[in-house]
Amino acid sequence: MALPLTYNFRNLLVRRLSTSLTFFVVTVVVAVLCVLLSFAAGIRASLRASGWPQNVLVLKTGATAESTSIIYPDEAGRIVQTPGIATDSSGQLLLSPELCVQTSVPRIGPDGTPANVAIRGVDRVAFDVHPEVKLIEGRLFEDGAQEVIVGVQARDRYQNLHVGGEVMLGRSTNRVFKVVGVFEAAGGALESEIWSGRTMIADAHNFRFVSSIAVRLEDPARAEEAIRYIKGPAVRMNARTEVDYYDDLSTKTRQIVLLTSILIGIMSVGAIFAVANTMYASVDSRRREIAMLRTIGFSRRSIVTSFLVESLLITLTACLVGIAVSLSVDGSRQDFLSDTTWTVLAYELRVTPEIILSALGLSTLVGLFGGLAPAVRASRTRIIEALRKA
Amino acid sequence: MSTVDIELRKVRKVYFKDRLEIPVLEGLDLTIAAGEFVVLMGPSGSGKSTLLHLIGGLDSATGGSVRVGDAHLEKMSERERTAWRSRHVGFIFQMYHLVPVLTAAQNVELPLLLFSMSSSQRKERVRTALEVVGLSDRADHRPNQLSGGQEQRVAIARAIVTDPDVILADEPTGDLDAKTSEEILELLNLLNSEFGKTILMVTHDPRAASHGQRTVHLDKGVLDREELNPARPRGAAAMVS
Repeated sequence: MALPLTYNFRNLLVRRLSTSLTFFVVTVVVAVLCVLLSFAAGIRASLRASGWPQNVLVLKTGATAESTSIIYPDEAGRIVQTPGIATDSSGQLLLSPELCVQTSVPRIGPDGTPANVAIRGVDRVAFDVHPEVKLIEGRLFEDGAQEVIVGVQARDRYQNLHVGGEVMLGRSTNRVFKVVGVFEAAGGALESEIWSGRTMIADAHNFRFVSSIAVRLEDPARAEEAIRYIKGPAVRMNARTEVDYYDDLSTKTRQIVLLTSILIGIMSVGAIFAVANTMYASVDSRRREIAMLRTIGFSRRSIVTSFLVESLLITLTACLVGIAVSLSVDGSRQDFLSDTTWTVLAYELRVTPEIILSALGLSTLVGLFGGLAPAVRASRTRIIEALRKA
Repeated sequence: MSTVDIELRKVRKVYFKDRLEIPVLEGLDLTIAAGEFVVLMGPSGSGKSTLLHLIGGLDSATGGSVRVGDAHLEKMSERERTAWRSRHVGFIFQMYHLVPVLTAAQNVELPLLLFSMSSSQRKERVRTALEVVGLSDRADHRPNQLSGGQEQRVAIARAIVTDPDVILADEPTGDLDAKTSEEILELLNLLNSEFGKTILMVTHDPRAASHGQRTVHLDKGVLDREELNPARPRGAAAMVS
């Protein structure tokens, strides 16, 4: 049987200062880890909720995002022969030509700093191609009217985008569009956008093209075939499933995760040294006690275990506090500027179970690596020498 | 109640320091009968503590044999000796070596954690041990809330709680005043006479030695002489070799 936990716990309290400092270091490491990863998780969750596997997004060859894609009407016409396109109840092909532009809207808050918000001009068919888009307040814009509906994230983060509010659009930002409805889109990226009639947006910007065409297929299994056709000689345009498109947009999250890993790696080495320092001090001041334990029959292994338990007590308790600190930002709303679309995507920070597991795993490793060498040193205490030094 | 005899034959112990051979025990023969209370005396460096450590399995002899009951310690590995110690030997130190963060009862309970025993059984054993040393009312005190004598009593309770065959005491009164020393020595006498424990005690103090049944004098690693204490005749079980 191992030494009781009360023994380890009380020993930690004996060296309050060094234990507290080590505790603080591990808490900070865990909190930073959780908060940074929650950024990535929030962006990833928002983008993952966007797009359908049976939707193929068609862009101009060479374009990587809707904002840099220009498709003229004659080119758009070549899409209709794509195999596997779904139809609605009236037999109309589910092809949604969409025009993406941007406008600057001030954020809600005392600063009111402006953000680039994506404006999407769509036809009615867009609501069949993007069935996740659902009106939750007000009504749809009317054809030919200077009206918009706004995503729920956009309404909550930018000024004057509530129903009845107004937003300035157009090439010279001189046309007033009235907000008539609010929509949600299953938490996806579309919720950060403003939608209006495609012809109205095209007219306001004097554009005679569309940015993309969203093609809804009968079956996700036919996506490969459809993409091959669109990329082929008959159409010669770029095509990807929406899922892949939004996955590419989440490159930013991979950068965040990479930078977080480097930062946390460096901080963890510091935390390991802090734990080791505390535990070495503990071992050195308890040599006689360790010798006594060995004398009465505790094995080397039980001494190692006891000291590891002690270092894990510090790191895992600190981990719980670090997680609790990070949970205070869970659900808070942020936005990030996509370096692909140059529009702002609103998202919620998410401290997911995976992040909590990562924090627990990291704290366990810090506790084990920091505590192992001191624990082994403790177990190798020369019994007779230590007893004689009494 | 279990007691065992102790037999050392031609025991040698040599330490090495800077490649120099430092002999501590040189061909020592000693037999201690089951239930005997033997006192080890001698000048510093005569090998008293080393002998105690060899009998307690804390160290291994360079040559010769050390038998405690059925255990031939010279044939056992360090791990085997550790396990054996927990069941057969109780140690009492000059500086008590109590764990400062644990209460008296928790200190006494420590050796029992190595046994398969329920918590209630452990508590009962601890209560009995503390009763024997007269500290039932100090069970929840921490070492820093006890006097030196009380701390040594707790250490004795820790040494007897597993009901060991042998008790090894290394200058148990070396850090205590005369009155408290007397109380501790009386307690050791009680463990020997009432509970039949075989006791081997190292001391420099002739008054402490007077509590043993036999005093063995060591000098330069060999047995110098032995004295029987007429005031404390050995029982039928205690036989000198």
